Amino acid sequence: MTSAKKDKVIIIVAGLIIGVIATLLVVAGNPKNMGFCIACFIRDTAGGLGLHRAAPVQYIRPEIIGIVIGAFVCALAKKEFSPRGGSAPMTRFTLAFCAMIGCLMFLGCPFRMVLRMAGGDLNALVGFVGFIAGILVGVVFLKKGFSLKRTYKMNTSEGVILPVVEVVLFALLLAAPAFIFFSEEGAGPGAMHANVWLSLFAGLIVGALAQRTRLCMVGGIRDVVLFKESRLLLGFAAIFASALIVNLILGFVNFGFTEQPVAYNDGLWNFLGLFLVGFACCLLGGCPLRQLVMSGEGNVDSAVVVLGLLLGAAFCHNFGLASSGEGPTPAGKIAVIAAIVVVALIGLVNSRKKEA
Amino acid sequence: MNTYIATFFMHFGAIRYQKMCKALGYEAVAMPVPRDLSSSCGTCVKYNAPQVLMDEAHDEIEQIVECTDEGYRLLYKAADC
Repeated sequence: MTSAKKDKVIIIVAGLIIGVIATLLVVAGNPKNMGFCIACFIRDTAGGLGLHRAAPVQYIRPEIIGIVIGAFVCALAKKEFSPRGGSAPMTRFTLAFCAMIGCLMFLGCPFRMVLRMAGGDLNALVGFVGFIAGILVGVVFLKKGFSLKRTYKMNTSEGVILPVVEVVLFALLLAAPAFIFFSEEGAGPGAMHANVWLSLFAGLIVGALAQRTRLCMVGGIRDVVLFKESRLLLGFAAIFASALIVNLILGFVNFGFTEQPVAYNDGLWNFLGLFLVGFACCLLGGCPLRQLVMSGEGNVDSAVVVLGLLLGAAFCHNFGLASSGEGPTPAGKIAVIAAIVVVALIGLVNSRKKEA
Repeated sequence: MNTYIATFFMHFGAIRYQKMCKALGYEAVAMPVPRDLSSSCGTCVKYNAPQVLMDEAHDEIEQIVECTDEGYRLLYKAADC
């Protein structure tokens, strides 16, 4: 088997495993169609830390911790841990902040978009079209010479800080001191979660698999458009296939636009939310899952992106930008439009005047 | 002819390098960096040439390897990366 074929088989197997894990986390207590959602879980973590006070979504999610640590351990073991950074940190922070506005408009990151589609939520299909459109616009900027400049080697301590912070967060979750917030039973998605250790273990496995395969929802579509290379997209498809099969077996599938868990059926804003995510993440070079994994590999720029996502989530809830099952908010609609303009301006400012 | 893979800090550098290879008459393909070469997910250029090609903007090149039967042979790696 050639190396390229072997890589494809590996990412398909990894995707199948991740899809099963994500669905089983729902059985274990996570919200429906939300076995994993990087955006929602970072938002919950922001709430757990008291960065926002939306009572239904406050819980330090062990899955996020597991993904970073899983990627970190895997990168160390394979001698791929490489502290680097210095590539336009504030621009990346801003793009991440904007991406989170889009995620919380849609109510999910690209990973949850796949899981929502696998649960029969057709609103996610509309979002998916927006996601592809956003990536296509991002690809136009890439072709016009968009660049956030190169990264540089950094001290090991720089690359280790975020994984260490994740360990501290896990300790806080277990110790549950008074200043850590937990959604009360029945309050909302933040109160729905699997066992802490199970969630952590699931995150570790997904983090390790994503590190080995470079799984990325944005990269999957970008590579097909730019290079006609389907490897990453196969991982994406495998997650969808296995999650759909397990959902069908468990009777979790509910095809339709209405009565979908943690979702609403306004097509325009589902489309625009993920359009913004696709656009911003294409310029960032990876989806939120990929950013977590790269931060575990020592990429400080990705760690800055994670911070941008965290603060973006806090702002979204503090200023009423996040949607709910009822639909988008007026402030959220304005924020999404403004964020699309900001991302486009960042794209223009950082593009070369002449094509290559 | 030997086969080389050049990786870059930025996508734009790869596209510019590919154009340079083609202008010199060498077959060159831009593609995602092979997983067994790096955990980074950037763009690389795979090309066939009698020797390694370095362009004037080679500060955009992260590394260049030669593809051999035994695997990749590192020929160039940028400082500070």
